[in-house]
Amino acid sequence: MKAIRKNSQVSGKGEIGVWFSSLGLSLGLLMIVALLGVIAYNGLSVFWPKRVVQVEFDPQSAPDLGSRSAVAGIITSQKVKSQESPEEWRLFVGNKDQYGISYSYFDRDSLLKVTQPEDLLVLERTAYGKAIGYPEHISGPSGELVSAEHPEFAERLGSLVRECQDRGKEIRKLETREIGAIHEALENLRLQQLRLERQSELSSKDREALEKIEKERARYESLFTTLATQARSLRDLQTSHKLQYRLASGEEIDLPIGEIHRFFYPNQIGFWGRAAVFCNHIKEFLLSEPREANTEGGVFPAIFGTFVMTLFMCVIVTPFGVLAAIYLCEYAKDGVFVRVVRIAINNLAGVPSIVFGVFGLGFFVYLVGGTLDELFFSLRLPTPTFGTGGILWASLTLALMTVPVVIVAAEEALTSVSPGLRESSMACGASKWQTIQRIVLPASAPGVLTGMILAMARGAGEVAPLMLLGVVKIAPSLPLDNQFPFLHLDRKFMHLGFHIYDLGFQSPDSEAALPMVFATTLLLIVLVVVLNLAAILIRNRLRRKYQIAGF
Amino acid sequence: MKNQSQSHHRTLERFQVSRRIGWFDRFMNHFIVVGGLMVIAAVMGIFVFIFLQVAPLFHGAEVKLLSRHKLTDTVDSVVAVDLDEWGELPVLIQKDGSLRYRDLKGDRGIIENGQVFQAGETLSSIHYNSLNRLLVAGSNSGRFAYAKVGYRPEYDSLSVRTVHPDVTRSDWFDLSGKGERILFVDYGEGDSNKLAVGICLDSEGYRHVRAVSLEQDLSLFGEGGKISLGARFDLTEAIDQAIQQIDVAPDGGLVLIVAENGEVFVFFNQGGKLELGQRFEPFGDLPDRRVGGADFLLGDTSAVFTGWEGENRVYSLSLDRDKGKRLYARTKEFEPMPELPEGYFPGVRNNSFLLVGNHHASLRFSTTESIRWQRNFEFEIIRGLIGEKYDRLGFLDRTGTFHLFHLRDPHPQAGLRAFLGKVRYEGQAEPDYVWQSTGGTDDFEPKLSLVPLIIGSLKGTLYAMLFAAPIALLGALYTSQFLHPKWRDHVKPTMEIMASLPSVVLGFMAALWLAPLLDTRVPSLLLVLLGVPCATLACNWCWGQLPHRVRTSIPAGLEFLLLSPIILITCILCWKAGPLAEEILFVVTNPETGERVADFRLWWPEFTGATYTQRNSLVVGFMMGFAVIPVIFSIAEDSLSNVPKSLRSGSLALGASRWQTAVNIVLPTASPGIISALLIGISRALGETMIVVMATGNTPLKDFNIFSGMRALSANIVVEFPQAPFQGTLYRTLFLGALTLFIMTFIINTMAEVLRQHLRNRYKAVR
Repeated sequence: MKAIRKNSQVSGKGEIGVWFSSLGLSLGLLMIVALLGVIAYNGLSVFWPKRVVQVEFDPQSAPDLGSRSAVAGIITSQKVKSQESPEEWRLFVGNKDQYGISYSYFDRDSLLKVTQPEDLLVLERTAYGKAIGYPEHISGPSGELVSAEHPEFAERLGSLVRECQDRGKEIRKLETREIGAIHEALENLRLQQLRLERQSELSSKDREALEKIEKERARYESLFTTLATQARSLRDLQTSHKLQYRLASGEEIDLPIGEIHRFFYPNQIGFWGRAAVFCNHIKEFLLSEPREANTEGGVFPAIFGTFVMTLFMCVIVTPFGVLAAIYLCEYAKDGVFVRVVRIAINNLAGVPSIVFGVFGLGFFVYLVGGTLDELFFSLRLPTPTFGTGGILWASLTLALMTVPVVIVAAEEALTSVSPGLRESSMACGASKWQTIQRIVLPASAPGVLTGMILAMARGAGEVAPLMLLGVVKIAPSLPLDNQFPFLHLDRKFMHLGFHIYDLGFQSPDSEAALPMVFATTLLLIVLVVVLNLAAILIRNRLRRKYQIAGF
Repeated sequence: MKNQSQSHHRTLERFQVSRRIGWFDRFMNHFIVVGGLMVIAAVMGIFVFIFLQVAPLFHGAEVKLLSRHKLTDTVDSVVAVDLDEWGELPVLIQKDGSLRYRDLKGDRGIIENGQVFQAGETLSSIHYNSLNRLLVAGSNSGRFAYAKVGYRPEYDSLSVRTVHPDVTRSDWFDLSGKGERILFVDYGEGDSNKLAVGICLDSEGYRHVRAVSLEQDLSLFGEGGKISLGARFDLTEAIDQAIQQIDVAPDGGLVLIVAENGEVFVFFNQGGKLELGQRFEPFGDLPDRRVGGADFLLGDTSAVFTGWEGENRVYSLSLDRDKGKRLYARTKEFEPMPELPEGYFPGVRNNSFLLVGNHHASLRFSTTESIRWQRNFEFEIIRGLIGEKYDRLGFLDRTGTFHLFHLRDPHPQAGLRAFLGKVRYEGQAEPDYVWQSTGGTDDFEPKLSLVPLIIGSLKGTLYAMLFAAPIALLGALYTSQFLHPKWRDHVKPTMEIMASLPSVVLGFMAALWLAPLLDTRVPSLLLVLLGVPCATLACNWCWGQLPHRVRTSIPAGLEFLLLSPIILITCILCWKAGPLAEEILFVVTNPETGERVADFRLWWPEFTGATYTQRNSLVVGFMMGFAVIPVIFSIAEDSLSNVPKSLRSGSLALGASRWQTAVNIVLPTASPGIISALLIGISRALGETMIVVMATGNTPLKDFNIFSGMRALSANIVVEFPQAPFQGTLYRTLFLGALTLFIMTFIINTMAEVLRQHLRNRYKAVR
C-alpha cells in the first residue's frame, strides 16, 4: 500500500509544480537564515578582539594620514573592487585624537610590509575611542617610572586601571546621585518660592516660609560646594598616573590612567584570552552606559527604557484586554453588534502603528498632557511636564495599539475552555463571577499569557510611534531610580529600536557607529525572538492540555 | 446561549449564595459589562478623535460681528481704511493726506493725525497700497512722496498694550522732471528695487507715463542711508492705448499698466532698465474684454483681475519654456461675483483677498481657488480690509460707519482640492500634485497634495507584494500540502517569529547593508532572479532521470532539503557572474570621451530615462517583502491546511496526483483565504513605516520607477510631525494622512476578515 502511494507520487503529474512550490519555502527559509546570519555574524564579531597588524607604506598612497609612513590597525575588510584594481584593505586605525579618522583605506600593492608585532597594545579609552600603540612606561605623581620592559608592567597597569575605575564609580555616584539630589531639592525650593510669590498678599506665615526657603537653599548650596570640591579632588587623583605609549607612526602620547577603560595585547592573548575579552565586551555592552555619542560603551539605558516601557504597557494592557475579552466571551449576547465589534477589533490589530502614534501625540500628549500641565504644573510652565512626550504616554499609546492583540488572544483562550467546565461549576452552585474567577480564568491563563507576551514582543520592537512620543537619543536619567517618587512617568527614555535608527541614521560618524548598530540589532532580535518563542511554547503546552481536557 | 442563561437562573434559585458573594457577583457583572464596553469604545474612539482633528480642515471661514463705529461723515473723501495688527486702532486715510484714527479699546476716542505730507506742495493725487501700507501722494509740481502708515505698541508696567500711530514720511521726489501735474502715482519698494510710476499731465494737455527708480546709499548701520533719484523712464511710447490703471508691484520689481480696452502691459524692472516684457488680455476670451480692476497678491508674483461682469481671475508669473523668461499666465479662475467688484483688498498674511461690490463681500483664497466666505450686507460697502493676522475683516459703509468682524479661518490652504486635486502653485508652469509643506520665506505657499504620498505608499506596497506574494504563496502551498509533517511543525513557528521581527531592524538592514550591497550589483540580482527558476527546473529534470530506487530512498515532502543547497549554489554563482553580465549587457558610451563603461547605474537612466538612486524601491520592496512574507505565509497556510481532509483524500483516491489535488481541489476551496492573506499582506505593507523611512530617500515622487525612491504616507508622518505646530494646518493635514492610512487599511482588513468568515462557513458546509 505504502509502496504504491510512493510510486504514484514520484511519477505523478505536475511534479514540476511541487518542485516549484518547494522553491518558495526554500527561498523563504534561506533568506531568513541569511538575514539572521548576517546580523548574528556582524553583531557578535563586534565583541571579538581581532589581531592587530602594523603596515608600512609610501606616505603618498594614504593622503588622509598625512606624512605618516606606518600605522597599526585592525583589518576590517579586504575586497577586490574590479578585476583590474588590486585588493583594497580597510584598516581600523583608531587613535582618533591623533589621526582624526577611524578608518583608512590601502591598496594591497602599496603596502611595503605587514607585521603582527607581539607588544602592540589596544587601549579602550573613555574619550576618542580606541588607541593602538606600543606602551613605553607608566609615570607616577612623583616621577617614578615603570618601563614597559619590566616583567610586572601589565600587572601594574591592570591594578592602576582597576583602582581608577573604582574611583570613577565613586565620582559618578557623587556627581549623579548626590549632586543630582541637591539639584532636585533646589528646584523644588524654587517652585515653592514661586508659588508663594505669586500670591498677591503675603501673610506673616508666608514670609516665614520664604525665609526658611532661603535658609534651606543656603544649606544646600554649601553642601553642593563641599561635594563638588570632593569630586574635584577625586578627579585630580584620576590623572596622577600616566601611561606613555608610542603610536606605530611615531607619536608619543601621555594618557592619564583614569581615561583607560580596558587594555589588552591583541597579538599575545590566545583563544581563551580573546574569549575572556569577548565576554567582557558583551558584559560592558549590556550593563554600561553609552559613550562617545552612543558609538561606544553599552546600551544599558536603552535596554532599561525598553524594559520599563514594555512592562508598564503590559501592566496597562492586560487587565483591560482581558476585561474586554471576558465581556465579549461571557457576557455579550451573540448578535450583529458583537460580530461587528469582533471584526473591528481584528482590524485594529492591523492598523498601522504610526496611526496610533499620531493619535497618542494628539490625544495624550497635547490634549491630556497639556491639560494636566495647566492644572497641576502651571508653575513650571512654559517648560512642559506632561505636555511633552514621555514614558507614560508612550506606554499608554502602545497599550492601546496592542489591546486588540490581547483581546483576540484572551478571547480565544476563554472560548477554548470547555463549556462542560463552566456548566459543572454553575451546577455546583458557583455564581457567574465565581465561575469566571475560579474556573475560567485559571484555565485560560496560559492563553492570556501568550497574548501578553505577543503584545510585549510587538511593543518592544515598535519604533515609529515612539518617535513621536518621547523617545530620545540620550536620556539624562532613567525612568526608574532611587529618587522619590521612584517611577518618573514624565521622563523621556531610550529605546533599543530607536537606538538602532538613531545610530544608523543620525549619527555624525555613521561608519564608526555601524558595529554598535549591528550589536544592538542582534540584541533586539534576540529579545523579540525569545519573547515569541516563549509565547509559542506556552501555546503548544496549552494546546496539549486542552486536547486532553476537550475529550 | 439561552438555555445556559435559563439554567443559570435555576441554579441561583436552588443554591442560595451568601449576600456578600451575590453582591460581589452583581458588582463584577456590571463592572465587566461597563468596563468591556468602555475598552471597546476607547478603541473605537481613536477613529473619532482622529476624525475630529481632521474635520476643521474642511470648515469654511467663520465671520462674526465685533463692533460698529462711526468714523466719518464725509465718505467721499476717504481713500482707504486700515487696521493695526491687534485690531485696536482703525485708521481712515483721507484724500487730503490726513489720517483719522479711532481707538476701539481705550478711551482716546478719535485721534486726528493731521496731514501727513508737508505743506508747500499741492496734492493732486493720492493712492494707498495696503499690501505694504504705503500712502503715495503726487503734487501739482510733478513731485511725489510716500509715507509708511505704521503702528507702534507700547507696554506699561502691567504689560497692558496701547497702540500708537507711527507714520514715517519720505522726502519729495521729482517724478516728471518737467514740473507737470501728477494725475496718479504708485510706488513700490523692495530690497533691490524702488520704483515709482505715474501719469503726468503736461501744460498742453497730453498725458505721459513716467517712471523713476530711487536709489539708497548703503549705510553702516543697515538702516539704509539717504535716498536719491535714480534712473528716469518714459513709458508713454510703449503704450498705445488709453490707460485705465497703474499698479507697481509692492517689491518694485514690475509694473502692470491696464488699458481701457482690457489689455495689460507688463514692464519688468531689471538690471536698471524698465522694459515692456509682456502684453496680454486677462479677459481676452470673453465678450466684454475690459478689465475692471487689477492688483497684486502677497508675494508679488500673482495679480488678481476682475472683469466687468464680476469675473475674477488670477495670473501668476511662471517660466515660459518657449520664450525662456518669466511671463504671466492664467492660474486660477474664480466663480464670478454677483455684483461688479469695486474694491479689492489683499491679505498680508497669506494668499487671501477680499472683493467687495455694492452690498456684497467675498473672501477668496488664491492657492486653492476657493471662496472662503461671502455675504450680502444690508449696508453698501465702499471700503474693506483683511486684518494683518488674518483674524479681522473690516468694512466701511456709505454712511461712514466702520463694521469690524472677527474672522476665524485657521486653515485656508486646506480643502479637498488642495489635498487630492491638481493645483497650480505660484511659479509653476503646470498644475500638479505637489507635497512641500514648509519653505524658507513668509510668502511661501504650503503645497499639501496627498497624491504623491499615496502613490509612494502604493509603490512600496506594489514592489513588496511582487516580491513577497509568489514566495509566500508557493511556500504556504508546499508547507501545507507536500511538506513532511515533522518539518511542518518547525516551519510554521519560524515563520510566525519572523512576522514579529521589528521593522526597524529590517529598515536598518535595507538601508545600511542591502542598499550599498545592491548598488553596484543589480545585474547580479537580475541573474539570480533568472537563475533560480532555471535551477529548479534543471533539478526536477535531473531528479526524474535518476533510477527509481534512488528517488524512493528520500521520502516525499523533503524536496526542499534537496533544493536548498542547489539554490544557494546557484545564487552564489549568479552573484559572482553579475559583473560579467554587466559587461556584456549594460554598457554605456560616455558621449564626451567616447569611453565605454559597463555600469548598470548609468545604463538604466540612459536606456529608460528614469533616475537611479541607491536607496530605491527595489531595496524597499525586498526588505518589506521580508516583513510581509511571514504574514501572507501564515494566513495562507492556515486556510490551505484547514481544507477538510475528506476532499483531499477523495481526490487522491480517485487517482489524481498530489499536485493535481493541490491545484484543482485544495487551492479553489481555499481561495478566499488566500485572497484574504494577500489583502492582509497589502495592508501590512501600506502601513509599514520604519523600513520606508530608512530605506528610501523620502522624496515625494510620482512615478513607479523601481530604481528611484519615494515618500510614503506613513513615512511622511514620522518625518514631518516633529515640525508641525500644534493644531496648525500641517498638523491637521498629517492627521488626514493618518486617517487616510487608517481608512485604507481598515477597508482592506475588513474585506480580508469577511472573506475569511466566508471561508469558515464554506468549510463548515463541507464538513
